Amino acid sequence: MNKAMRNPYIYALFVIPALVLFVLFFIYPLINAVYYSLTNWNGVSDHLKFWGFKNYTKALTDDTFWNAVKNNGYFILFSCFIQVPIIVICSLMIANVKRFKSLYKTAVFMPTVMSTAVIGILWGFIYNYDVGLFNKILGFFGVEAVDWLGDPKFAMLSILITNGWQWTGFYIIMVLAAILSIPKDLDEAAEIDGATGYQRAMKITMPLIMPVVSVVIMLSIAGAMKAADIIIVMTKGGPAGSTDVMATYMIKYAITNFKYGYGNAISVIIFVFTMILTVLYQVLIARRSERIEY
Amino acid sequence: MMRALKKSINHIVLMGYLLIILFPFLFVVFSSFKLNNSEIALSPFGLPEHFVWDNYVTAWVNAKINVYFLNSLYIAVLSSCITILIGAMMSFAVTRMRFGKISLLLFQLILLGMLIPNTSLMLPIYLLMQKMNVLNTHLALIIPYVANAIPFTVIIMAQFMKAIPSEIEEAAVVDGLSVGGIFAKMVLPLTIPAIVTVFIVNFLGNWNEFLLSNYFISNDELRTLPTGMVQFRDAYQSNYAQMSAGIVYSVVPVMVIYAVLQKKIIEGVTAGSVKG
Repeated sequence: MNKAMRNPYIYALFVIPALVLFVLFFIYPLINAVYYSLTNWNGVSDHLKFWGFKNYTKALTDDTFWNAVKNNGYFILFSCFIQVPIIVICSLMIANVKRFKSLYKTAVFMPTVMSTAVIGILWGFIYNYDVGLFNKILGFFGVEAVDWLGDPKFAMLSILITNGWQWTGFYIIMVLAAILSIPKDLDEAAEIDGATGYQRAMKITMPLIMPVVSVVIMLSIAGAMKAADIIIVMTKGGPAGSTDVMATYMIKYAITNFKYGYGNAISVIIFVFTMILTVLYQVLIARRSERIEY
Repeated sequence: MMRALKKSINHIVLMGYLLIILFPFLFVVFSSFKLNNSEIALSPFGLPEHFVWDNYVTAWVNAKINVYFLNSLYIAVLSSCITILIGAMMSFAVTRMRFGKISLLLFQLILLGMLIPNTSLMLPIYLLMQKMNVLNTHLALIIPYVANAIPFTVIIMAQFMKAIPSEIEEAAVVDGLSVGGIFAKMVLPLTIPAIVTVFIVNFLGNWNEFLLSNYFISNDELRTLPTGMVQFRDAYQSNYAQMSAGIVYSVVPVMVIYAVLQKKIIEGVTAGSVKG
């Protein structure tokens, strides 16, 4: 039909800018990371020696690294067992109310559009020992003040709460959209048959939104593995490394301690761990909750 | 009585959630008008005794909000626009031009990009910026921002362009339009809803980005709002009233944009994550 639409030069002209950037910023860094992870390079000097998997064995036998992995794990556990129930309950509630529906939607989503850095600063203030909101509330009930971000026992929990505060609303809106797309007649038929609100939620709505909940969990896992900025803003990994996650551990070694090769080994490990978790989740859990047709 | 309670229980719980979302903001707004730390400490929940506007004046001067704000604004807008242009060109070529097999392959390659976590590739990208000799300039942010948003942009725009009926091009060819003409005059205008979505998502991502901005920029005048604010906090850590005013400055513009565009923003951000 049209010769112009088959012109290979124009095709190339249209494709190449995006492709060049893609290769430079996705493919090349990936190869680069794998390559340098096998060396002892410090990121600056000409001195470079291959030493195989030494960086990997060093990381995998380092207790501080496993402590960081554990903190990534807390991120995942917190979102699966605390955020997900809240998300499901709140979205069911918003779907059921008639008044203020859009007010709830707007307000709940708001933290999502704000920058993590500003949220970190804001919550740092709330957690502040002397003037912060939390200690004032505790003081009101006569409980002793807690150094939220300065005490290794509470620092990680404080970060998880802030992170949850920022992202829960985003997922609520996703699940809510799924609930609202379920045909009304299903619910009405059950109601005529005498099902209570609770029964309808558990037997009709819940199975139908499982695929979306599954997506929420996947996104939470991906987010948990990438988490870094909130920690850098709030605690910089401290006190005494108690809030370090893999990404901040990597940055610490590569940029602050000039261990570029080692840092890259960590980034490859993050990549591999994320892949393993994703695949495991897909195989073990997501497959069982297959999409239900209606 | 029971029925009324049952009906309102949803509202009670949701209002509680709303309070948890909004209270931190109120706390900061109230604090920003207070005289000093001791007034915040004495009445953390109350309204300030006198509204002290001084905090806003000193925060504006000390925090250089105007500098950071403009930096963020122009970097975020410019990067988003370039991404959309480059992404739209690629989407157009892949979906509308007749190179079936290569197009499929290229599209799959770009899809792969959604799986690669970019935070963990920060180190090689740092080196790349060093080699390009742009570290500590705005280009060190603009180029990665443009590149990082390409997979998402191409996926959303390609999906949208695929749905445009092919009669359009036939008509365009009869009218004697070139490929560039078809792209600019026919396909792009029809893709505007997708462009808006992609622009919002990319803009928010760039506006809020912290990691690259924190490590690739060391000159204070060049900082963006997120890193500038962290810098400001670290410098004036003990003056909470002033810090609160700084937080208000950096939050309000986003809130205003959100209030105006909220429907489009919610739609775009959630679409982006599901399809990605």
